[in-house]
Amino acid sequence: MAEVRLVDIVKNYGAFTAVDHVSLTIADGEFVALVGPSGCGKTTSLNLVAGLIEQTAGDIFIGDRRVNGLDPKDRDIAMVFQNYALYPNKTVFKNLAFPLKMRKLPRADIDRKVRAAAKVLDIEHLLERRPRELSGGQQQRVALGRALVRDPRAFLMDEPLSNLDAKLRGQMRAELKRFHQDLHATVIYVTHDQLEAVTMADRMAVMNGGKLQQYDTPARVFSNPVNIFVAGFVGSPAMNLLYGLMEGANRVGRDGWAVELSAENAGRAARATGREVVLGARHSTIALHREHVAGAVPGRVYTVEPTGDVTFVHVRVAQTIVVVSVAPSVMLAIDDPVWLGFDQNKLHLFDGTTGDAL
Amino acid sequence: MRARVHGDRGWGIARVVFLALLTLFTLLPMVWMLLTSMKTQFAASQYPPEWWPRNVTFEQYFILLSPANETGREFLRYMFNSLWVSFATTVLSVMVAVPAAYAFSRFRFPGRNLLFYSVLLRNMFPAVVFLMPLFILMRWLHLVNTELSLILTYLTFGLPLSIWLLKGFYDNIPAQLEQAARIDGATRFQAFIQIVMPLSSPGIIATAIYSFILAWNEYVYALTFLNDKSKLTLPVGLQRFFTEYTTNWPGLMAASFITSVPVVVLFLVLQKYFVRALTEGAVKA
Repeated sequence: MAEVRLVDIVKNYGAFTAVDHVSLTIADGEFVALVGPSGCGKTTSLNLVAGLIEQTAGDIFIGDRRVNGLDPKDRDIAMVFQNYALYPNKTVFKNLAFPLKMRKLPRADIDRKVRAAAKVLDIEHLLERRPRELSGGQQQRVALGRALVRDPRAFLMDEPLSNLDAKLRGQMRAELKRFHQDLHATVIYVTHDQLEAVTMADRMAVMNGGKLQQYDTPARVFSNPVNIFVAGFVGSPAMNLLYGLMEGANRVGRDGWAVELSAENAGRAARATGREVVLGARHSTIALHREHVAGAVPGRVYTVEPTGDVTFVHVRVAQTIVVVSVAPSVMLAIDDPVWLGFDQNKLHLFDGTTGDAL
Repeated sequence: MRARVHGDRGWGIARVVFLALLTLFTLLPMVWMLLTSMKTQFAASQYPPEWWPRNVTFEQYFILLSPANETGREFLRYMFNSLWVSFATTVLSVMVAVPAAYAFSRFRFPGRNLLFYSVLLRNMFPAVVFLMPLFILMRWLHLVNTELSLILTYLTFGLPLSIWLLKGFYDNIPAQLEQAARIDGATRFQAFIQIVMPLSSPGIIATAIYSFILAWNEYVYALTFLNDKSKLTLPVGLQRFFTEYTTNWPGLMAASFITSVPVVVLFLVLQKYFVRALTEGAVKA
């Protein structure tokens, strides 16, 4: 296994910039998730590492080796594709054997390694079948097996779980995490599902519009999002964002709502480049009151989503919807008047003009 | 509900009748050709016709397929010429169409669309329109009265459709398969040969059959470009039979039947490749 390093990578398609000056170091044995909405450049970045496409500028290192311009076959990486890309005319055994055969391993070694990988993935009984005779979950395992069968320097995974049903996805997530730990593998994992990134990755790289937004542990990305985009992307439900204007030195409000800021938060808000300040609050940090409380923001219940453990209440505040979590025992009806109290210590503040955290 | 069932049955019968008529229409001339070929010369020229040959004889077939007599030698010569021209056309058109179609399907290069549609331009005109220009071209190339002139001509006729057909096949083979192969250690070329080619074999076979039949059946160009008797292909050769042996209907029919055999055999042997959907199970949709 090896370290993978992207240094100031740019990829242009004509006038369109798919990857915009991205630098990223994935440590040896680290599981890094590239997350972002579709079209953010995450898959392009992965394909650049794989060598399936060539960057416009910048360097890519795998281990100590600069791999710019190298064919995929010479980069010694393995990849799992979203649609699995199993060779339909080959049996499962031959699918798994293909990477070894291309590297001209002796037949006996191939046989041994294929059977070992098949055993790990519990697909030994499928070796003589063809891909079309397998279920989605089995195909997924074969695709994984084809990557595991040799000792690549890094595993690249392009949304490998997105075609599985929810139950299987949860199960494979746990298995993948376990594989990573057992193999001490360097994994670059592309996903649009922030839950996968948060649950599996050592570090996550959040991308948007071809630019790297934040690269940190899931916990830190969750607790300290660097800008409005990351705040709104990570976490489910997403962070509530209230777009307000500074009204005096320690008050943010707009269209009938206003929040008094603590001295510390007022100090942070003062750093904003303009009057626009965005308040960010996770659903669990907002207190929901049924009658007026000093400093609380009034709103009306828009809808109620009980999930069993916790109930999410969507509250309409002026033009925005704020999601608050409450105990399942709390009974609320649509259009009930409520008041929201923000925890000043857990409030996020963003510069409304630049989008950056304050 | 009952009415619906009856309605369906009504359509079912109509369909069977229609298909039966169509089959009859296609098969009858073939059957008549076969029957006549097995009659004696006398029986074949009777009126009213002898519907079913009373004295079945394969005499004509022995004559045509035996190198021992003049007619047989001539016929076998034509057959060999036809096989050679058709075979060469088929091999060359597959060799050109496969990489061309692959390139059109996978690569983006300047002038790609223009080139792709200009490939089809030839098919917008009836083949006869090109008879004179091509003849002049062939004369200029000193290719008149050679098999090569026919092979080149048939290639220009067959390739456009072959390339279109194959491009469709390659478009349907997911690019991820090649990417996977390249990551697994294959060069671009190896990925094509080992992964893409086998998957496109139904397309390649269809293309091959199409080219072969096109070359095998072609008449006008063969008639125009060739005048050396020893170089004639079967369709033109048959026509000579027709004029030289006007009275020998069984012989002519036997020759016609033999001519149609390779095409039928080719279809029967290779048709199973048409129906197999080879890409099934490649990727999850």
